[in-house]
Amino acid sequence: MTGFDPTLAMHHSETQVSVELQTPDMTLNLGPQHPSTHGVLRLVAKVDGEKVEEIEPVIGYMHRGYEKLAEVRTYPQITALVNRIDWVSGFCNEIAFVTAAERLMGLEVPGRAQYIRLILTEMTRISSHLLFLSSYPLELGAATPMMLAVRDRERVLDLIEGVTGGRFHPNFNRLGGVKPAAGGGATQKKLAQDLPAGFLQDTRDAMVHVLGVCDEIDGLITGNEIFWERTRGVGVIPADKAMEFGVSGPNLRGSGVRFDLRKVEDYLPYGDFDWEVPAGTEGDCYDRYLVRMEEVRQSVSIVLQAIDKIPSGPLQAKVPRVIKVPTGEIYVRAENPKGEMGYHIVSQGGRVPYRVKIRSASYSNLSILPWLLKGALVPDIIAIMGSLDFVLGDVDR
Amino acid sequence: MTESPSEAAAPAGAAARPDPAAVAERFAAMVDAASWSAEHGTAKVVVPAERWVEVHRTLREHLPFFSWLSAVDWSAEVAVGDPPAEDAVTGRFEVLTRLADTDEGKALVVSADVPAGEATIASLVEVYGGAAWHEREAYEMFGIGFEGHPNLVKLYLPDGFEGNPLRKSFPLLAREVKPWPGTVDVEGMPEGDGPSTENPEGGAA
Amino acid sequence: MTLAIALFDNFWVLLTVKLLAVVLVLIGFSLVIIYAELKIMAHMQARIGPWFAGGRYGWAQPLADALKFLQKEDLVPLEADSPVFRIAPAVSLMSTVAVFVIVPFSPTLIAEDLDLGVFYALAVGSIGTLGVLMAGWSSANKYSLMGGLRAAAQLIAYELPMVLAAAAVVVQAGTMSMAGIVDAQGPDALFTIPGTDIGLPFVMVGQIVAFVIFMIAALAELSRIPFDMPIAESELVFGYLTEYSGIRFTMFFLAEYAGMFAMSAIATTLFLGGWYFPGLNPSVFGPAVMMAKVSLLVFVMIWVRVTWPRLREDQLQSAAWRYLIPLALGNILVTAVLKVVL
Repeated sequence: MTGFDPTLAMHHSETQVSVELQTPDMTLNLGPQHPSTHGVLRLVAKVDGEKVEEIEPVIGYMHRGYEKLAEVRTYPQITALVNRIDWVSGFCNEIAFVTAAERLMGLEVPGRAQYIRLILTEMTRISSHLLFLSSYPLELGAATPMMLAVRDRERVLDLIEGVTGGRFHPNFNRLGGVKPAAGGGATQKKLAQDLPAGFLQDTRDAMVHVLGVCDEIDGLITGNEIFWERTRGVGVIPADKAMEFGVSGPNLRGSGVRFDLRKVEDYLPYGDFDWEVPAGTEGDCYDRYLVRMEEVRQSVSIVLQAIDKIPSGPLQAKVPRVIKVPTGEIYVRAENPKGEMGYHIVSQGGRVPYRVKIRSASYSNLSILPWLLKGALVPDIIAIMGSLDFVLGDVDR
Repeated sequence: MTESPSEAAAPAGAAARPDPAAVAERFAAMVDAASWSAEHGTAKVVVPAERWVEVHRTLREHLPFFSWLSAVDWSAEVAVGDPPAEDAVTGRFEVLTRLADTDEGKALVVSADVPAGEATIASLVEVYGGAAWHEREAYEMFGIGFEGHPNLVKLYLPDGFEGNPLRKSFPLLAREVKPWPGTVDVEGMPEGDGPSTENPEGGAA
Repeated sequence: MTLAIALFDNFWVLLTVKLLAVVLVLIGFSLVIIYAELKIMAHMQARIGPWFAGGRYGWAQPLADALKFLQKEDLVPLEADSPVFRIAPAVSLMSTVAVFVIVPFSPTLIAEDLDLGVFYALAVGSIGTLGVLMAGWSSANKYSLMGGLRAAAQLIAYELPMVLAAAAVVVQAGTMSMAGIVDAQGPDALFTIPGTDIGLPFVMVGQIVAFVIFMIAALAELSRIPFDMPIAESELVFGYLTEYSGIRFTMFFLAEYAGMFAMSAIATTLFLGGWYFPGLNPSVFGPAVMMAKVSLLVFVMIWVRVTWPRLREDQLQSAAWRYLIPLALGNILVTAVLKVVL
């Protein structure tokens, strides 16, 4: 018997005294309010003791109808909507949308703006992954990594706030460039708005702290035997299953597929830097954890290279005052912290898009859950769900 | 939807991925598509709805990653938002899937038209298991039927919900109650390519 | 004066005083442990911890918490088995208090030195789990039910290694009396530091295996990380405690921390020589020595909580049945053989 099953043991003893006992499966309802469903996800699980017979995710509690709203909003207004999709990586959500609109309009984004976008994207990725590194051990019962990771995530968020004015919802990208909220300070009133003074040096310092907290969590959790017991061989996603369900990002790489959209797409100048795509081998929870840990380190490396290389120049291309996007159809995908984030925009030449299909990573990552959780134990539900690292806003859109 | 355009203008910057026009042309030949395009770097093939499953079964060998399935409502009857362009063919739903591979970066949008009056198409669940949720979403949002889907029920919307929200004819309640001033403030501004106030001179450090 | 002596000669008066003392001491220590855990955890996690309550270092935080809990409405779910639901916290707390009766603080300062001390402690200590099971069963909540059943499964798995580990000590000491066991590690010790007559505690003369097993089992019995599956808040919301509020929750809460103290005290007595410390007069320094040793063990328990994740129920079962029980049995065998040989 792989899993201990107190109810089953009890039923055996009862049948021995020749009592015919009906033992229907218990329906366990996890959520929509539950400590570890990352929001308002509801799981209806049929359990036999602690073993899951069947599980059905119920989503939609967070559905905000962004695809419909996008049909009545102008393009600049939509960036304010889309950064609320995956609210722990709001900045990344804007990038793919803005890039898609810019390509439809034929805008050339200045290099400095692209670099600022890239730096902030990677810092958002670091903050999102640090949130995973804090919440995942917590779900497995270890509280200390949370305190450490959240402490240093705050440094990163402060920097993002310093540039954009928002910790989670920057709404910072403009078609054709970026618009920093902070100027160069009171003394530089004449100089136009740019990165705040001292940002680059503060970023270097913060990156040192991020690497430090990664080492600390490594020391606490990564080699811990109990952590291995809970995550190794648990929730294995084979690579072909992952692709069939559209599982992307670190979850796909955990299954051994060394594929990163930052390497194959050109929405931001990632080709200028030297960095690696980490990948796992087994496709279990432990590999997904390790991939994210390594991605933080790679993102730190990208940020450090980018702030060394950042070019000077304007932050915005010339754009018409009234933004009308020519007729056309485009799909732009970007590597978000959670996976592939894409926007399929159909424009009919107006101020508002005709149709925007939002492809969010967590939606597809979560859709594998019924397949993945069949036969798992109740404690493993939490371990597996946590390792997929989804955000309900990203599932429901 | 022009026949084999050569407009595949890859944006500036070194694209590591394969040329989208080449990808579209190759797969269009493979599945015997009605037409293909590669506008703005988005490779797309258009196939007849009758061969929907067959096409995907062929493509699965080369593009195993199922990214999404959705639809576009090409309708002349528009309750909110802009109407389609005058030369667009209306009265149809365009069902779209996006497939990709995970080594070179080849990717393809597959499109098929179903008439608005009888909006059904075969389900892809047997080809790509991940299509199940996407098809349920398209079913509730557009009212498109997917034949052969094992569990075609609402995904997001509550059970008693009536209507298909992403259809162009579906009104947005907030707009019915209170007309949005958004269009007004955009129109109030002078037209033309004047210098944007959002683009101050310099902007550099 | 004579009246006082006469009063203390009366069995019932003496019993009341002793019980009162045990309860007060236990609650007092529990509050101290709660505060220590808040503070130690905070400092291990790069936080400050309680700071404002009480004026300095937040020393009054546990009191404030307790007062807050006492004000809360005492809710009983409509579907719950009301009498069982109400009595469960008392059962849980009572068993801990009862264990405390036989904990020796000095040769004379012991509520009741039973001849069957160890046996009594282990028997009464496991009643607490019954309270947990009652709570889980009566709450009419699936999470509570699963938590309660997990606690029961844990009890079955962990009571055995714990008893076997203690049995080895009993064999070595030749007595079940708590005071007797301490004496066997002190003045009457068989093993002494060579060249002196200072006795060695059992943990230093071969019972290290039993000590480790005992502490692991104690953590499991107390449902503390890494064995806190019965309340596993990320899986079962709060396990058997989900439906509790107000004073009944406080009782469970107190039982957990009092249990930490009681388990540490038993471990100290069995393995660390209790009140005995070379060179210190037990009748004067005994309680202080005992408290110091107990605090050390409590600190280790808190440390473990801050450091480790949680195991899974089936992994705990397999660890107990496949490793700890055979190991404990082997330990008894070796102890018995050596006892005869030496």
